[in-house]
Amino acid sequence: MSLKQANIVFGGLALLAAILALLLWLPNDTGSAMIVHVRGRVKIGDALAPAVALAILVAAGLLIMVEALKQGGSALPSGDNIRFCAVLFLLFSGAIVLMRWTGPLAVWLAGPGEGIGYRELRDSVPWKYLGFMTGGTFLVAGLISLAEWRITWKAVMIGLAATILLILLYDLPFDDLLLPPNGDV
Amino acid sequence: MSDVLHYIWLGILAVFQGPALFHLLGFALPAAPVMLFFGLLTGIAVGATPGLAGPMAMAISLPILISVFGFTPDALLPVFGFLIGIMKGATVGGAVPAILFNTPGTPDALMTTLDGHPMARAGQPRRALRIAQISSVAGDTFSDLVLFVCAPFLAILVERVLDLPEKTALLVLSLSFVAAVMGKSLGRGLLSVSIGLLAAYVATGQDFYPRLTMGLPGLENGFPMVAAVLGVLIVGEIFCSIEDLLRAGTSRATADGGPEKRTSDGLQPGDLKRITPYIARSAIIGTVIGAMPGVGSTLAAMLGYTFGKRRHEARRGPADTPFGQGAPEGIAATEAANSAVSGANLIPVLSLGIPGNAAAVFLILAADSIGGFNPGPAVFRFTAPEVNPELVIAFGIFTLMSLGNILNWTIGGAFMRSLGVLARIPNRYLLPVVLLVTLTSIYVQETSFFALWVTFGFGILGYLFRRAAVPVLPFVIAFILAKPLEETAREAFAATGGDPLFLFRSPVSLLLFGATIGSIIFLHRTSDRHEPPSGPRETR
Amino acid sequence: MKSVLASLALAAALVSAPFHAWADGWAPPGPIKMLIGFAAGGGADTQARLIAQGLEKKYGWKVLPEQAPGNSGLNLAKQLASEPADGTAFGMVVTETLAYSAVASKNPDFELSKFTSLATTARFQLGLVAMKGGEFDSWDKVKAAAAAGKPIRFGTASDRQADVAYHLGQKTGIDFNIVPVKGGAGVMNGLRGGDLDIGWVAGAQSKPVKQGEMINIASGIPAALIDNPEAPKITDLGSDFNLDGYFMFIAPGNMAPDVRKALGDAIRDVLTDSSTEAYAFAQKAFGGASVVTGEELDGYMADSVDASKKLIKAVSN
Repeated sequence: MSLKQANIVFGGLALLAAILALLLWLPNDTGSAMIVHVRGRVKIGDALAPAVALAILVAAGLLIMVEALKQGGSALPSGDNIRFCAVLFLLFSGAIVLMRWTGPLAVWLAGPGEGIGYRELRDSVPWKYLGFMTGGTFLVAGLISLAEWRITWKAVMIGLAATILLILLYDLPFDDLLLPPNGDV
Repeated sequence: MSDVLHYIWLGILAVFQGPALFHLLGFALPAAPVMLFFGLLTGIAVGATPGLAGPMAMAISLPILISVFGFTPDALLPVFGFLIGIMKGATVGGAVPAILFNTPGTPDALMTTLDGHPMARAGQPRRALRIAQISSVAGDTFSDLVLFVCAPFLAILVERVLDLPEKTALLVLSLSFVAAVMGKSLGRGLLSVSIGLLAAYVATGQDFYPRLTMGLPGLENGFPMVAAVLGVLIVGEIFCSIEDLLRAGTSRATADGGPEKRTSDGLQPGDLKRITPYIARSAIIGTVIGAMPGVGSTLAAMLGYTFGKRRHEARRGPADTPFGQGAPEGIAATEAANSAVSGANLIPVLSLGIPGNAAAVFLILAADSIGGFNPGPAVFRFTAPEVNPELVIAFGIFTLMSLGNILNWTIGGAFMRSLGVLARIPNRYLLPVVLLVTLTSIYVQETSFFALWVTFGFGILGYLFRRAAVPVLPFVIAFILAKPLEETAREAFAATGGDPLFLFRSPVSLLLFGATIGSIIFLHRTSDRHEPPSGPRETR
Repeated sequence: MKSVLASLALAAALVSAPFHAWADGWAPPGPIKMLIGFAAGGGADTQARLIAQGLEKKYGWKVLPEQAPGNSGLNLAKQLASEPADGTAFGMVVTETLAYSAVASKNPDFELSKFTSLATTARFQLGLVAMKGGEFDSWDKVKAAAAAGKPIRFGTASDRQADVAYHLGQKTGIDFNIVPVKGGAGVMNGLRGGDLDIGWVAGAQSKPVKQGEMINIASGIPAALIDNPEAPKITDLGSDFNLDGYFMFIAPGNMAPDVRKALGDAIRDVLTDSSTEAYAFAQKAFGGASVVTGEELDGYMADSVDASKKLIKAVSN
């Protein structure tokens, strides 16, 4: 498929998505119509603004197709780009899982017991830092390793240093600020 | 006239003779200027850190400041001092990562990357930083002067001329303008705008039913603005850069980030003369944009850059660097314009109590929480002989702003360049850390993993936009303007009693719509003629 | 390795474990999550955060405030519903949230019985506000302008306010152009900028009124307003409903009575102790704290729900 054809498909997909959204998504997922009469008032409903946005998307799709026909079109993501996104997704998910569950796991293994779980300890050192440190270190080290295409201790140390620095920056001086995952437990 | 001078004097006194922060060698150090100083340093550092922005730092420090200084009118100037310091520091500091790492520290510095980074890569990071500082502070100073002179008059005039329908029309004009100007293709610009609007409209309606959420409970509060904006702007850029590093292979990994070759760095002879006209023009653009509520510094930077580029291309000699390849004029045009917004932005705030941007919102919140100062028309009543304390505070704020500019001119540059030590850190180490800082600061604000997933999702969107040559800035501006646009439209519609043609009833709004159509046709054709000369990702 | 880590963690936990102050009866079994149903930095938000601070200082409890704004407090209510009812989670909304907004949403998840009302903190000083010295700075002028055929823009910050505005218009024969805006601050901005003519404000108008910039032309509560006692009550102008209400802390439903009492008393304690910042702030921003708890509060809420149902019925035809 040439770049021109790819751009025509791209514009067509945008057009199709916009039309489907206008006909199917919008009417079923808004609380009111475009213009509503409520209790003596006439007002703009919740559907008008998204409808305008989708109308712009229709125009955008058409224009992209026309521009492709006239000028040949511009770059589009490749299969490699999509695979890269998948790798990023795995790394990010891993970091979130570590952030969320390292603390509770550590409390379960080595906590004070007596029915005290992570929720009760989410404001106590060291429990409250465990998830942020493992997850943050994993994310930073993972991305560095991805960029360098090898895994090094240096990457892990940089990740660890970054998380410690952020703990010093946010958690120590400010009592009210919550580091991940402590707002979610 | 003597009344005015008297009030100015009282304002200056209020700053320097206010309550002491602490005593040093028998001298009482007044709190307001000291807080301004620390605020400025904080602001520069925050602006220089991608992922942290001025408003975010203001949001975090406001509760702390209030608990330190309390709820008395005495607290006003010290608290304003710190907030104004952050505001001014961040506009200058935002240029640092834009120039050194091609990552805008604040959205306003986005266009600074276009010329600042190429200049830094060509071995002149100090020159680029110096030009950015001079232009930024010059624009800011000009804007402040306009604020001091016009605050009572201009905003009242704007308010009087523009009724709700005209305000709606003005927002439509800004959006169409952005779509037409950014990027190579009008189609892709509009695509970006429409997705930005759509994302902002998720779960932000007036009904109890959260619209467009597809039944997902996590979406019921909509996409947090910081998460969406920072995701597309910063995270998407980081993903692109990491992939570039990966594809370039380890052989090149040591050469990225820092300057590649050594040439004479620092300000070059003739630079000042060269950039002055661009600073002047952008300062005026930024000031005019800033005085309009709701139209922010990002648009000003873009306009300043676009107009600067047009002028440059018309006059450029063969030896001059074109825009997009490290032209000093490009840095100057952007930085002067985005900094010139900050002073003028306070015109509607101080004279009408209406914030024009996020930074102004926090000044209003501070005034509101502390009490004793209500930004609005009542502030500018020159009463005599009894003193209007609010007017004294207003002139105290002006004094602090002038003082902030002096600090920015003098120590600001040195502090800013000292942050350049970060330049030695290779991008492959720095970018993942920046990502973690961004995610952490978003979590601290939103306290939920959902916000992090949103940030990641928009990061992927920003990545795909860049790979598909779709400009990201129209998305961001549309996302930010979407809510004000819908709200003013709703208000205008309701205020006119449900007139379906409310947007087309007054000559002023018809004029604005004419400009909208004109901007699409005219500006789009010019952007066709001049293909942006920068690299594969000109859409940043 | 694991045993070293475990013993280190245990040691640190012993040093910093949350202490349980059993001395004064009840104490929360962990840090308290305080949700705030208002945007950060405003008057209501500041009030909630100062109460959190007061609870920490006076009781040694750990209180972690979190923002949960939007949908007239219903977003907060929804989030709160999934929290435990053991006193480690409560949130600040307005009485309107569980009354009018809950009724209007027609969602059974928001019924009064699904939540525990802990304590009110301050009462609305809700007035119909206009610019002083302007075209509409008395109710008579509003009536005269309407009779002369001039469209009048009426700013409202919630659906309940819009309904009462419409109802007032029906009863007084005025066809207002009702403009929904964001919060009382939005109404006042609209008045200042000339985009609105009159509008409801629930207390934030106090300062501009005292400074002679604005004026309450009518009282939306069942009492005279502190700043403009001469302003007629809307119920005297013909309205069958008022816009009375409080800021209020709520908790998940089915809370044990002793926990509910302990929390309500603690909030009252902080707000009535003249040495706390929460007390000072309530004096300044709301003309003093107004704390209602227990059965009295339940009665008030039940009445508010009834009134809301009647209001919605009255304006729906």
